[in-house]
Amino acid sequence: MRHQWYPVGIAAKLPDSPAESLLLGERVHIGRAKGGGPQVTDAKGRALPVLTRFGHVWTTLGTPERDLFTIPEADQPGRRLVDVGTVRVRCSPLRAVENFLDIAHFPFVHTDILGAEPHTEVERYEVEIREDSDEVWATKVRFFQPQAAKSAGGGITTDYMYRVPAPTCSILYKTSPPRPGEWDVITLFVQPMTEELCQVWPWMALFDDASTMTDMIHFQQMIFVQDRSILENQIPAKLPLDPGLEIPTRADMTSIAYRRWLKRHGYTYGAQLVAA
Amino acid sequence: MSDFAAERFAISGDLGSPVFVPWVERHARRLGLAASISERSPTRMQVRIEGPAELVDAMEVGCLLGPIEVWVDDIAREPLNDRAANRTADA
Repeated sequence: MRHQWYPVGIAAKLPDSPAESLLLGERVHIGRAKGGGPQVTDAKGRALPVLTRFGHVWTTLGTPERDLFTIPEADQPGRRLVDVGTVRVRCSPLRAVENFLDIAHFPFVHTDILGAEPHTEVERYEVEIREDSDEVWATKVRFFQPQAAKSAGGGITTDYMYRVPAPTCSILYKTSPPRPGEWDVITLFVQPMTEELCQVWPWMALFDDASTMTDMIHFQQMIFVQDRSILENQIPAKLPLDPGLEIPTRADMTSIAYRRWLKRHGYTYGAQLVAA
Repeated sequence: MSDFAAERFAISGDLGSPVFVPWVERHARRLGLAASISERSPTRMQVRIEGPAELVDAMEVGCLLGPIEVWVDDIAREPLNDRAANRTADA
């Protein structure tokens, strides 16, 4: 768990004096180095490795074997890159990612925006753990959405792909309303503060020439705030790696693949290992 | 109404833990399915599952994750062409 890269701040909004935060239960300080670049230190004042990618500062408490994952769309001309801000959620970091992967809750939690009754059925889609990239992918996901994005003029059936490239990060690719042949990219980068507390850093790479930056940020923040009350009341609080009393179904296959992948990697920070 | 299914699950993986058989039986009971285990080794298990088709699907989904002590590589499903497979039952 220590040997992963984790997001800890927005690169463009680093505080001048170091701000205290938590990473995997350990105190860290995030701020600017003398030269102006990002600096993260641990509780002993030791400088931790840092990266700046996708608008965010990333750090690690260990020695990652792999570089941070890539998002090729981030470099595609014409996209607007949106630092959405941050939401602190009193839930397991793995629960936050799992919720992001769940389509079935759209009509009930994001009513008349990302879903609406009676369009509640999740059609069959494909899920796999890709061995070459060691990532979870869900493809051919389709869902009717009354307002798929700030740029959407009305209800459309939206195509989705989900990708989990790191244990606390998920990337959603969805039909871009103004450019139906392209994918909008919406990410959820999660900083695991403790096993039951996390800082969520959403980031987007969108085709949208009409909306203001403020409108796009507000739209996405509204979605995450709607999710927060659900996330903070999940029982059990940690993500079960044994289905236990839960009855997962076909619609939950992305969540199951994610949990299988965590299990295979022995990633248990924020996970419940025994049956609920 | 839901289609009734009778299928054989051939589960493969690292299945040596003694918790797996009771786990499979308990999960089937929770789903209201009949389950009988016909063959078992540390890497393979065959289970006959009967019940509403959607719940048989849910059994596969649950078994793919399984208990923490077990790693399931794959579940090959085979419909059983006996009388049970042709029945229908209330969902």
